[in-house]
This record gives sequence, C-alpha cells and structure tokens, in this order.
Amino acid sequence: MKMMKKLLLGALGLLFLGSCADTDRADHTELYQEIKSADKMVFASMAITKTAKMESSEWYKIGKRIAVYSYDSYMRAYVDLSELQMEDIVFDEKAKTVKVTLPPVKTEIAGRDMQMRKEYENIGLLRSDLDSKERAEMKEKANASFKKEVEENPMFRRQLTDAAKRKARLYFETLFEANGYTASIDFKPSKYGNND
Amino acid sequence: MATMIKKRNLILIAFVVIAIAAAAIYFLFATPKKTIDVSKGHISKIETMAQLCAVEIYSEVPVLDTINDKVMFAVQKQKGSVSFDLEKMKVDADGDTVTVTLPQEIVELYEATEDNSWEVIDTKAIGSMAMFRSDKFTDEEENMLKAHIKENSRRLLYRNGTIQRARAEGARMLQPLMEKVYRKPVKVIDPTPKGIYY
Repeated sequence: MKMMKKLLLGALGLLFLGSCADTDRADHTELYQEIKSADKMVFASMAITKTAKMESSEWYKIGKRIAVYSYDSYMRAYVDLSELQMEDIVFDEKAKTVKVTLPPVKTEIAGRDMQMRKEYENIGLLRSDLDSKERAEMKEKANASFKKEVEENPMFRRQLTDAAKRKARLYFETLFEANGYTASIDFKPSKYGNND
Repeated sequence: MATMIKKRNLILIAFVVIAIAAAAIYFLFATPKKTIDVSKGHISKIETMAQLCAVEIYSEVPVLDTINDKVMFAVQKQKGSVSFDLEKMKVDADGDTVTVTLPQEIVELYEATEDNSWEVIDTKAIGSMAMFRSDKFTDEEENMLKAHIKENSRRLLYRNGTIQRARAEGARMLQPLMEKVYRKPVKVIDPTPKGIYY
C-alpha cells in the first residue's frame, strides 16, 4: 500500500513539473528589424483572395480529411514623391491653371493577412485534426501561387494602376482647386512602358 | 510426416505474423497521400486613398505564446508601413506661411509574402494532464495567437521609437510637397510626435 502511495505521489510530481514548463506569455523580441524611409504617395490598394484546399486520403484510412482555408494578400499602387521635381509643376498665372506631371504609378505587394479563414472542414471521426504546420503549408502553397499569378497576369496591376491614377488626378485637382487653380494631371511614362 | 506438417504450420504461422507486423508498421508510419489545391486569386476589394507612406518596416519575430494551455513557438516575417491620410490633413493657407497639421498615423502590419514567412517550429500542451491532451492549435486558437502577435508588434513600434521617427519623416516629406503646391513657406505642426496611442 505504501509502495502504491509513493508511486502515485511520484507520478503527480512529474505531472506538476510538466505543467510548470517554461512558457512565457507572448514573448516579443525581434530577430531582425529594418526600418527605411519611403516617401511614397499611395493612391490605391487591392485585396486578392486565395483559397487552398487540402485533402489527405489513403485506402486504409476511414473517413474524409478535407479542409478549405482562405486569406487575403494586398497590393498597392503609389507614386514615388522623391521623383517629383519643381519643373513637374507648371503654373499659368493668367489662366489660373497648373499642369502637373506626376512620377509613374508603381505597384508592389504590401503583404498578406496573418490570420486564415476556415471556409470548410470535413474531418472524419477516426481522422486527426489539422495542425498548425499543415495550415502553414497550405498558406505557403497559396502564397507561391499568388506571386506567380501577379507576375504572369497583368490584369491585377492594370486595375490597380488605373484606380490609383483616377484617385491621384482627383486628389491633386481638389488640392489645387482649393488654392484657386484648375489642374490638369498627367503621369510620366514608366521605364517598363506600362506604368507599372 | 507429422513433424513435416508441424514444421509447415510453424512456417505458415511465422509468415502470417511477419505479414501482419509489416502491415501494422506500414499503416502506422506511412504518410497518407496529401494534396493541396490552390484556386485562382480573385480581387475582393479595391480601395482608393491618398496616403503618404513615410516609413516601411520589415521584421522577423520569434513567437512564443500560450493559448488554452497550448504553447506555440514559431517565426514570422512581417511587412508593414506607417502612413498619413492626406485627405484628413488640416491646412491653413490664409497667411504668408501655410500651416499644415500632421494627421494621426496609420500603422499597417502584414505577414510578409517571402517564402516561409510563417514557420511553425513546435507546439506542446502544458498544464495538468498535458500528456493526455492534444497539442494541436485549432484555427480559432491560431488566429487568436496571431492577433496577439500583431498587437505586440504594433505596441513595439510605439515603444521603440519607430512611430516617432515615422512622424518626423512624414513632416519632413510633407513640407516640400506642400511648398510646391502653395508656393509659400510651409510649416508642418505635429500635435502628437510620439504617435496617437503613446
């Protein structure tokens, strides 16, 4: 009986030690940080949704294991203000007009959502739940596909650039109008020929 | 004759046992066939704005967090920016000097899109009966953890002076732009040099 008691206490002690594992809450130091000046004027942003479906099956496994997750990635369109020169803004005092030639609109990928949305899940009773590494793997695949699509499909950049140009025109027209001038806004051609 | 039958039976039994053991090992350790299909991306939102992006941030953050007695250690690459909404900027152009008030900062933080920007190193269950509980994070728990990461990174930007630097950069960038527009000396006023949430 004494032996049993000792064994039980030993087991409880081990469990207690296990529960006191070193786990700080939300430790937040940084491995690496880079901060740089930008001088960009952002006129449009675009959210692109990617959906990934994972299915794992084997003839000897009973039950389905299907999961569908989605998340958004973001692109933005901007003009580099450091490229704007004095001679790019020409005033006509008599006509009270101003002609502005803005730097070309450029686009870039701003990043992606940290969180993922669960769209659908069907995990059979005898199958294991998805773990974080599997979700990360799904996101990684979706991200590779997103970058390839952005590179190969000019539609994303074109739509974003068009929206940015419209907004830039509107913004500068309003700005100069408040100052008593009628503005006409134009853009310098992009080095790549498509203002991207 | 009886010995031969006995020997044959023994060989048969041994063969069956080996076959069952091999099948068991295969079923236990074989990785199930996994396929990941990714659909084509679709544009879910286009927004227009007029924001001055003063500072861009790139960082790699080690994540050690506990949600519902489950611990995760991961490394996340983050991309972000600090911008100012120029449509909310106050401009007073009545006098000889134009006075511009810097609006509050917009801090945007995303996960980067480089390879392995979210890398889960390990998860474990802690607390009582930890060894009998799953260490797997549900999607809700993982999203809670990521919300913590975002909030902590945002706070760090205020604490380590990044926001202060971004506001100073913003003011420095606005001045020449506004001078080109108004053709008068411009003074940029910053009511909250350390940021709105400091």
